[in-house]
Amino acid sequence: MPRTFVPSRYQPALPSEQVILNERPGPDAIELDVLFVGGGPAGLAGAIALAQLVAEDNERGGGLGEVGIGVLEKGERLGDHCLSGTVVNPRPFRELFPDLHDRDFPFAAPVPGESVYVLTASQAIRVPTPPTMRNHGFYVASLSEMARWLGDQAEKLGVNVFPGFPAASLLADGDRVIGVRTAASGLDREGKPSSGYTPPTDVTAKVTVLAEGTRGLLTQGYLAWQRIDSPNPQVFALGVKELWETRRPLNVVVHTMGWPLPPSVFGGSFMYPLEPNVVALGLVAALDAHDGGLDTHELFQRMKLHPLFRQYLDGGELLEWGAKTIPEGGYYSLPDRRHGDGVVIVGDAAGLVNVPALKGIHYAMQSGIFAARAIFRALKTADTSRSALAEYDRLLGDSYVMRDLYRTRNMRLAFRHGFVRGTIGAGLATLTGGRVPAGRIAMPLDAAVPRTPGNASAFTPDGKLTFSKVDAVFRSGNATRDTIPAHLVTANGIPRDVAEFYARMCPAGVYEWVDGALRINAPNCVDCKATDVLGPRWTPREGGSGPRYKRM
Amino acid sequence: MPLKIAVCIKRVPDTETRIKPGADGKSIDEAGVKFVLNPYDEFAVEEALRRREAAGGGEIVAVAVGPDAAQETIRTALAMGADRGVLLKTDARVVDSLAVARLLAEDLRPGGYDLLLFGKIAVDDSSHAIGPMVAELLGVPCVSAITALDLTESAGSAEREIEGGVEVVEFRLPAVLTVEKGLNQPRYPALKGIMAAKKKPLEVKPVELSGSGIEVLELALPPERRAGRIVGEGPDAVPALIAALRNEAKAL
Repeated sequence: MPRTFVPSRYQPALPSEQVILNERPGPDAIELDVLFVGGGPAGLAGAIALAQLVAEDNERGGGLGEVGIGVLEKGERLGDHCLSGTVVNPRPFRELFPDLHDRDFPFAAPVPGESVYVLTASQAIRVPTPPTMRNHGFYVASLSEMARWLGDQAEKLGVNVFPGFPAASLLADGDRVIGVRTAASGLDREGKPSSGYTPPTDVTAKVTVLAEGTRGLLTQGYLAWQRIDSPNPQVFALGVKELWETRRPLNVVVHTMGWPLPPSVFGGSFMYPLEPNVVALGLVAALDAHDGGLDTHELFQRMKLHPLFRQYLDGGELLEWGAKTIPEGGYYSLPDRRHGDGVVIVGDAAGLVNVPALKGIHYAMQSGIFAARAIFRALKTADTSRSALAEYDRLLGDSYVMRDLYRTRNMRLAFRHGFVRGTIGAGLATLTGGRVPAGRIAMPLDAAVPRTPGNASAFTPDGKLTFSKVDAVFRSGNATRDTIPAHLVTANGIPRDVAEFYARMCPAGVYEWVDGALRINAPNCVDCKATDVLGPRWTPREGGSGPRYKRM
Repeated sequence: MPLKIAVCIKRVPDTETRIKPGADGKSIDEAGVKFVLNPYDEFAVEEALRRREAAGGGEIVAVAVGPDAAQETIRTALAMGADRGVLLKTDARVVDSLAVARLLAEDLRPGGYDLLLFGKIAVDDSSHAIGPMVAELLGVPCVSAITALDLTESAGSAEREIEGGVEVVEFRLPAVLTVEKGLNQPRYPALKGIMAAKKKPLEVKPVELSGSGIEVLELALPPERRAGRIVGEGPDAVPALIAALRNEAKAL
């Protein structure tokens, strides 16, 4: 009987007392009307939609007057922390900008055609494209570039976009959210102000929109504080992605299943042509694997040596590297309500991802647009209470977003027992529009899944096609000051098996077992949030820390 | 004593950006390049802010020559705390420092400034020239690359790091000072400052660059560094190392 451990046993509690502050805003608080926390597709689409509604109202003489709209983003600039495949459904772009054409949007190229393969270590067997994965009419793009473009549109409409300012806490008054407090910058290793110190700033708003993206800290804090549950816990996958300049052009969107992932692990890979000679590729693996030695970064490095990928990458150059988690629970993992007094939750923060379609950006933007409509109505009636903002959940519930998610509600969950049973279950679910398998397949919390300690790595990167985690972090553009306080909170006395589990899981080489103790190289962190799901808690650090993705 | 201070700033590519020459081979390819306030100019802005704070008043004007996008750069200075901005707007690619200095001098001359601060260099072209040229054109003293500053009513003294020591220079106001890093630690714009910067006045004046006396013929990347080589280990490797340093690297 191999020894096993349960990650949740070693996970510190959510630092709720730091996340929810029942405090009056400071005297230097900035007063806004609506604050979007997170400058990704959800927050920016919401800010744009709201600014448009306000402008139309004022043109009509509706009398709303000036509405202060702000977007806080933790990255050094917009898009720096945005990472996705990316194949995007343009629907919400068309809805936001009816006067523009698809060619005006920040897309690289239409999906030229697609192939799906099942991989073995040496072969690629082409299989029919599953209906949920058809991408005809969609576009290959970079989410970083989309965020920057949306940011420009937002600023043109008068939105205050603040990159470099992470929100660290929600300000609360009773059950009402009244704004946020940003993270301080310029602290030394011990957390004391050093040169260049900037204290936290309070930003107040009538409505705060949590658009933090995957595994948002304030969102977790809010849901826990308000005891908002969901039928299943949210479950996550980790995606590791690279951008390559290739010698040989790729002219098709590629998805694979199978190798290098073990059959028990849900996931797959993608390879998209961003430009004729620039390819985006990555590997996504669920975080509920029993194998405690699963290392997604390393599996991805091995994967690139497969002929299917190698034929493009040989002689090419790695341009960028990045990693991010994906909320994969779908319909049954959505919080029971995504609104409250003075607050709504949108995009990945709410778990709005269609896993069988491998898409979430259009849901993120669409939910932002719905949030904007609900908030606009709330501002018009001067009522931003929980019952007024319930309008957001009504709009979302009546939309294609929730219909899609309901139809595919059990497809990811069917993979709980591995690839073969999962494929059959997901196939049945597709054929029957989600009616078979019946009911809800219950999922455990990722951190509650017992792990078997893994073996040490026998992989040596060659520095040409395959790269170490240290090299990878360099290619993420991460230039975090190495004298900032550690932002990853671990329990004391982490045993070796668990430390090595963190080390394998973290794609950025943050964790090491050195001289009989867990060492944390916190500046390496690229904010993917994988260990926040399974171990050490992530907390915000000074603005501009973390990766600087250019075209992820 | 409140002063009227001009800080001349420039929009430059971020030092962390990977630069490559553009199609014409004479200018950089700006696609995907992030632009920032020239790091040396940040020290100049910071010093102006400290003078105003110490005096309990005064006015700081941030002046730039550049394309429309340089408004963003000026907003950064305004977010740090400058009072207003002036953009001398031209889309022409600037190669000749004298042409820029003339534009600046013309705009600054009637301004009644007590102090004119510049970064020691702009990190994109490293010409070191604009500050001293403006001083010459305005007929005021110039102290370059200062690392410390002390001001009185109508004069000041500054320190400069020179080979093997420190030079202390006295000057009368008005004066041009170009600043070296180490003079201070520039502040990050605070949220409040960024909000306020949106509402501060920024005047855009279209200008024509006068004819240029110099021309860029070619931009090229430095040759790629060759991979390192381990010549051996321990004392036995010393002869091989000396041979390599002497014959290959020509360092001995």
